Amino acid sequence: MASLKRSLDSDPFSANISSKVYVRSTKSGKVQKIVREVYLRQDIPCSSRLCQTCIKTAPRDAAGRPTTFVLSEAPAGTSVFPQGHYLVPDTNAFLTAMDLFEQSAAFYDVIVLQVVLEEVRNRSLPLYNRLIGLTKSEDKRFYVFFNEFRLETHVARQEGESVNDRNDRAVRKAVAWYGQHLARTKAKTVPAVVMLSNDRDNLRKAKQEGISACSLAEYVKQLRDGDRLLDMIPESGDQGIVKEKRPGEPLYPEYFTMSKMMTGVKNGLLHQGIFNVSPYNYLEGSIRVPAFPKPLLILGRENINRAIDGDLVVVEVLPKDQWKEPSTQVIEEDTITKNENPDAEETADLVSEKERKALQEEVKRTHNKTTEGHAQPTAKVVGVVKRNWRQYVGHIDQSSVSQSTQQGRKQDTVFVIPMDKKIPKIRLRTRQVAELVGKRILVAIDAWDRGSRHPIGHFVRCLGELETKAAETEALLLEYDVQYRPFPKTVLDCLPKEGHDWRVPENMDDPGWRDREDLRGLLICSIDPIGCQDIDDALHSRPLPNGNIEVGVHIADVSHFVKPNNAMDTEASIRGTTVYMVDKRIDMLPMLLGTDLCSLKPYVERYAFSVLWEMTTDADIVNVRFTKSVIKSREAFSYEQAQLRVDDQSQQDELTKSIRTLLALSRKLKQKRLDAGALSLSSPEVKVQMESETSDPIDVKTKELLDTMSLVEEFMLLANVSVARKIYEAFPQTAILRRHGAPPKTNFDELANQLRVKRGLNLSVESSRALADSLDACVDPKEPFFNTLARIMATRCMMAAEYFCSGTQAYPEFRHYGLASEIYTHFTSPIRRYADLVAHRQLAAAIGYEAVHPSVRSRGKLEAVCKNINVRHRNAQLAGRASIAYYVGQALRGKAAEEDGFVLKIFSNGFVVLVPRFGIEALIRLRDLGDPEPAAEYDAETYTLKTSGSRELTVELFQKVRVKVTDQKDEATGKRGVKMELLSVY
Amino acid sequence: MASSQHVLLSPAELAYLHASLSLAPPIRPDGRSPTQFRPLVAETGILPGTNGSARICFADGTEAIVGVKAEVERTAQRSGDETVFLEEGGAGGDDDDEEEEAGQGLEKRKGDASWVEMTVEIPGLRDDDSGTAFLAAMLSEALLADGGFTKRLWINRRFHWKLYLDIILISPPLSYPLPLLSLTTHLALLSTRLPRLKSEGDEDPFFDDDWAAAPYLFPRTSSTNIATAKSTTPAAAIRPPITLLVMAVGNNIIFDPSKEELAVADVALAVSVTGSSPSHYAATGTGEEAGRNLRLLSIRTVDPPSRLTPPGLANAANTAYGPSNGTMGTQKMAEARAAETEAAEGVWRPPRGGAKRMVLGALVQKVLERGGVVDEVLDALEGVDSG
Repeated sequence: MASLKRSLDSDPFSANISSKVYVRSTKSGKVQKIVREVYLRQDIPCSSRLCQTCIKTAPRDAAGRPTTFVLSEAPAGTSVFPQGHYLVPDTNAFLTAMDLFEQSAAFYDVIVLQVVLEEVRNRSLPLYNRLIGLTKSEDKRFYVFFNEFRLETHVARQEGESVNDRNDRAVRKAVAWYGQHLARTKAKTVPAVVMLSNDRDNLRKAKQEGISACSLAEYVKQLRDGDRLLDMIPESGDQGIVKEKRPGEPLYPEYFTMSKMMTGVKNGLLHQGIFNVSPYNYLEGSIRVPAFPKPLLILGRENINRAIDGDLVVVEVLPKDQWKEPSTQVIEEDTITKNENPDAEETADLVSEKERKALQEEVKRTHNKTTEGHAQPTAKVVGVVKRNWRQYVGHIDQSSVSQSTQQGRKQDTVFVIPMDKKIPKIRLRTRQVAELVGKRILVAIDAWDRGSRHPIGHFVRCLGELETKAAETEALLLEYDVQYRPFPKTVLDCLPKEGHDWRVPENMDDPGWRDREDLRGLLICSIDPIGCQDIDDALHSRPLPNGNIEVGVHIADVSHFVKPNNAMDTEASIRGTTVYMVDKRIDMLPMLLGTDLCSLKPYVERYAFSVLWEMTTDADIVNVRFTKSVIKSREAFSYEQAQLRVDDQSQQDELTKSIRTLLALSRKLKQKRLDAGALSLSSPEVKVQMESETSDPIDVKTKELLDTMSLVEEFMLLANVSVARKIYEAFPQTAILRRHGAPPKTNFDELANQLRVKRGLNLSVESSRALADSLDACVDPKEPFFNTLARIMATRCMMAAEYFCSGTQAYPEFRHYGLASEIYTHFTSPIRRYADLVAHRQLAAAIGYEAVHPSVRSRGKLEAVCKNINVRHRNAQLAGRASIAYYVGQALRGKAAEEDGFVLKIFSNGFVVLVPRFGIEALIRLRDLGDPEPAAEYDAETYTLKTSGSRELTVELFQKVRVKVTDQKDEATGKRGVKMELLSVY
Repeated sequence: MASSQHVLLSPAELAYLHASLSLAPPIRPDGRSPTQFRPLVAETGILPGTNGSARICFADGTEAIVGVKAEVERTAQRSGDETVFLEEGGAGGDDDDEEEEAGQGLEKRKGDASWVEMTVEIPGLRDDDSGTAFLAAMLSEALLADGGFTKRLWINRRFHWKLYLDIILISPPLSYPLPLLSLTTHLALLSTRLPRLKSEGDEDPFFDDDWAAAPYLFPRTSSTNIATAKSTTPAAAIRPPITLLVMAVGNNIIFDPSKEELAVADVALAVSVTGSSPSHYAATGTGEEAGRNLRLLSIRTVDPPSRLTPPGLANAANTAYGPSNGTMGTQKMAEARAAETEAAEGVWRPPRGGAKRMVLGALVQKVLERGGVVDEVLDALEGVDSG
C-alpha cells in the first residue's frame, strides 16, 4: 500500500518544500493547529552590488530591467571592520534602538531579515512602520532579505526549541550564508557581515559558529562618533548585569499573568481601562471602567504599580474600608522627590518618607470626616495589558547632576523631568550631561522593572535650548504627536501637474465640468478671521421670485483633488487635521491645495461643493439640494470688515444687502437652536498678538465676539446638519457622523454642589435644555464674569464630541448634546479636517455625482479613520492651547501684570486661579502666600480655605481675587511658567 | 446486528469451512493460526491539519482513515460549581509539589461523555443507517466505558477539550469493518496531541503556540524515561481501547476472522479491552508473566452472517435427489424438518440460539490473556511511528 503522505524522499524538489506547524489561539478562545507549507527558492537576491550571480536571477520589472540592488559595493568600515561591513540586526536591536538606526551619521547598509521584520511587526506596530520607512529610504540602504523563503537560509524549528531560539538561529544562519555568499563574489575587499544583538546567548553562539557579531554598545564604540550615539542605546542591554549585582527586594508587586488578568476581567473580578494621572497629584490616578459609574481611584506609588499615564491596565478593586475621597491636596513630583539621587539605586522602601507624609495627611483628613458617602472606590493596578509609551519631551533635572561629572565623558545617571506632569521622572544614563543640561530633549522609556523606583529610559535626540521658540514649538508638536515632517515626495506627486497655474477649465465640455452647476454668476463672498489663507467656505443669499430666499453655502471641493487611497489621501487621513499653533500652522494637505487650488479665494473661479436652501423669511427650510459647482467669490472679508460693512448703513450694494439678509436669517436660526436646548458653552480663549517682524509675542487679547462670526457659524451648522441627514439617508450603515454624548449626571455632581453651597444656585442637568436654562440663571449681579465662569466649569464636565460611523451606534445615540441636534457631521472644512473630506465623498456618492468608493463604504475602515481623527483632533486642540499658553508666558516675560482672577478649585494646601484676561490658570500654594508657610484649615463642605499665621486670609471657591501675574523660571528645574501671587481678596 | 454482507458460499462450502474450523487445531482457509492477525499496513499523521490521524489498510483491501480534531469548549457549570478560585493554582508554589498537585488534579478532574463526538462514515450507507450508528455506538462505548478517557479532556473546572473523531472507511465494506475502524481509531488517538496549557488554575485557558511542545493525549513512555513512567499514576500509562472481533466455531476461538470465516461462526463477539503501556516488560525483566494489565471494557455479541445463510439439506431429506426422490408426503416433510434441527455430518446448519456460557467464558479469558493476542496487537500499533 502506498502511503498517503506526501513522500518527500522520492520528490526531486523535496528540498524546496518545508512546512511550519504552530498553534494559533484566536480572540474568541478557539485554539487551532495551523500547518503552512513553505516553498523555498533560490532566486531571492542578496541585493549586494558586489554580487554578480544574484543579479542574473533577480526579479525583473515589466520592462525587463532587474531591480536595483540596495547594498553598497563599498560600505563604510569601522575600527574593527576596516574592510567595510553589512549589518544584520536581530529583533531586539530594532525594538530597543530604532532611534539609532534612524541616525544619519551611521547605520548604513543594513540587511533586515524577514524573520526580524515579522517579529518587529508582531511586537510593535509603530516601530514596524518606522522600520518600513527606513527600508523605503534610498540613502539609508536598508534591504529586506526574505531569509525564510531562501533555500539556504531557511531554518526549521527543532524539537524543544523555543521560537526565540529558532529565530536567533535563523538570524545566525542568514549571517553565515551572507558571509559565504559574498566571499564567492571574488571582490577585492569583501565586506564583513556583522550581526547586531544584545542577547548574550546569541552572541556566544555566534562566536562559536565563527560569525562576526557585536552587541550594540560594542558596535557603536567602533564608530567614529561613538560616544554621542552611545547614549541612545537602551538600558536593557546592561540590565542583566545590573540585576545580578543587586538581588535586593523588588519594590513593586509583581504583575498578574496575562491569562489570569483576562479571566479576571471576563468574570468581572478585575477591571480593565486606561490609566489616567491626576494633573494636580502625581500619586493619584483614576481609571474609568464600565462596571462603576464613577472612575476608580488609584492612590500611591504601590497601587499605581508602575503604570504610566495612558497605559491600558487591569485593576483590582480594594476592600471598602480602603475607599477614599479624591485628594484635595496638590502633590507635585518635583517638589517631593527633588533631592533623590539617581545614582543611588533605591534599596530603601518604595515609598519615600516624604511621600508617606504627604499621603498620611490625606488619610488623616479622610478619617476626620464622617462623610462616608463621599468615599470613592479605590483600586490597585495588577497588570498592564498594553503600554502606551511614546517618546517624551523633557529636560534634565539639574539638581540630579553631580558636579564632578559635569566634565568628561563618563557615563552618568540623571533624572529627566518630562514636560507632561503626569509622566514620572525618567532615569537616564548619558555621557553628555554637560551638553544636555538646559536643553529640551526627547527620551524614550525602555523599561520599568520591579526593582526600580523610576522608569529607565534612553536619550533619543536634542531639540535645542530650553525656551527657544524652535525647540519649544517642536517639543509641543512631539508631545501631542502632531505629524510635522514635510510632506514626502509621494504625496507631492499626487498634486495637479499645473501647480499654481491650475485653472478651472474654460471649456464647459471638459470632464471637470461634468455634472457641475455654473454658479459663477452668484454674489458669493467669504468671511473668515484676518489673514486666513485656507478659505474653506463661502456664502451667498438672494431673494427668489416667490418671496422666499435662496441661501447657499459653498465649500471648497477638496475631494476633487484628493482621490481616495492615494498617497496624499493616506497622509491626510493620518494627520487627520490641520494644527494651528500661535506662530505656525501644520497643514493636513500640501500648501498648494490648502492655500491656493482648493481655497475659495476671491476673484478667481474655484470648484466648490454647494448646499443650497430655499428658506422662508422666518428661516424655515422649504427645501435643500446639494451640487458640485463652480463659483467665483466676489470678496474675502475678515469678520471685522464684514461687521463694519454691515453696520455701515451707507453701504447699499447687492453684496452687503445679501450679507444683511444672511445675518437676519442667522439670528433666527440661532434662536431656534437655543429654543431646542443648544448650549452656549465657554472656554477662556485668548489671542496672542505678534510683532510682525520678529513674530515675538507682544500682547494678549481675549477674543472678541462679532455678529458676523455667529453668522458664519450658524450657516455652517445648518449645512453640517443638512449633509448629515443626506448621507445618513444614503448610507445608513457607513455615514461618517459626529456625536456628542449626553454627559453622565455624576459629572456635574461636584459643580452642582459647589454652585448650591456657594451661591445657592440650582444646576439641573436632566437635559441640555434644562442645563442651558439653569446656566442662564447662573448670574451674580455683582460679578458679570460669574456666568462665564460657570459656563467654563460646566464645559469641563462635558464629554468630548466624537466622530463615528453610523452603523456603530443606534439612532438615538447620534444626538449632539451641545448643539441639541439629532444628527450632525462635519462638512464645512475639508481643507483642514479629514472627516469633512470623507463626508464630501459620501455626499458626492449620495447625490450620484460619482461612484461609491470602497473606502467610503467599508465600515471597518471608516471606524479606523474615526478612531484616528478623534485622537488627532483632540491632540490638535491641546497642542494649540499649549502653544497659546507658552506664548502668553513669553508675552509676560519680564513684565508683571496685576489682574483680576477667580478661584476655580480649592485644595487643602493651595488653590487654582483663573485669569480671564490671559486665559491662563495657575496654582497658588500655601507656601507661596507667606514665609513661613501659613497654617490653613480647609473646609471641604463649604469650599473654604482659612489661613492663619504669617498671613490671614479666607479663600472661597468662585471668589474674585487680585493677583500679580509674572513669569518665573524655576532655577532647580529649568522650567518657565506663569507664576501668580495673591495680592488681595475682594 | 446483522453484519450485512452476503456471503456467496453454498451450504456445502459452508459446511466444509465449518468442519475445518472446528478441528483441533483449526485449519483456517488462509493458513493462519487461530490467534494470528492478517497483515495490515498502518501509518499515522496523514492529515497534517488534525490533532491526530491514522490510516490502516487490511490485507483484504479494506482501508480506514481516522482524524481527531480538538476544540476548546466551555464546561456547562453545574450548580455548586460556580465559584471560581482565581488564586488557586496561580499561587501554586514549588516544583516539588507539582507531582502531588497533578495527582490531585486527576482526582478533581471530571469528564463527560458529551465531550467526545464520533461520526462513522461507511461508503454506500447513509449516516443514519442502523449499521453505521451501531458501529459508532460500539466504538464510543469502548472509549467512554470506564470514564477515564474523558478525564483526559479536562482543562480546568471551566473548560474542556471537545474531541471530534471522524472515522471514515474509504474502501467498500468488504468485510465487517469494526476491528479495522477500532484499530485505526486507536492509532489516531495514540498520535493525538493537544496544545500545551500555559495558564494555571481556572483561568481562561491559554496555550503554548509551539506545536512541538504539545503533549500527547496518551503520553508516550519511551525506554529512556521508564523511571518517570513508573512513578506516574497508572492512569497515565493506559492506552486507548481496542475493539476486537473474536468468533468461536465449536470449541475453537478464532481471532480476526475473515469474511468467509465469519460466515460460519457459531458466535461472534466484539470485545473491547484496554491495556497499560508495555513499561512493565522492562520493569519485570523478561519473565513469561510479563505483559499488560488488560481490562475488559465491554462485550457485544455480533449477529454473525452465518445465521442468515440457507441451511443445507441432507441427501436423505432432499426431495429432488436421492432415495426419497419422487415420494412426497406429509411424513417426509416432517422428516425434513427434523433433519434441519438435528446435526448431520457434512450438512450445513446455520447456528441457532445464543452463545454458550462456556464458550463465552473461554473467549473472554483468551482475550485477556497476558502476553496474548491483545498484547501483540497493542505492541504492533505502538510500534507505528507517530509523527
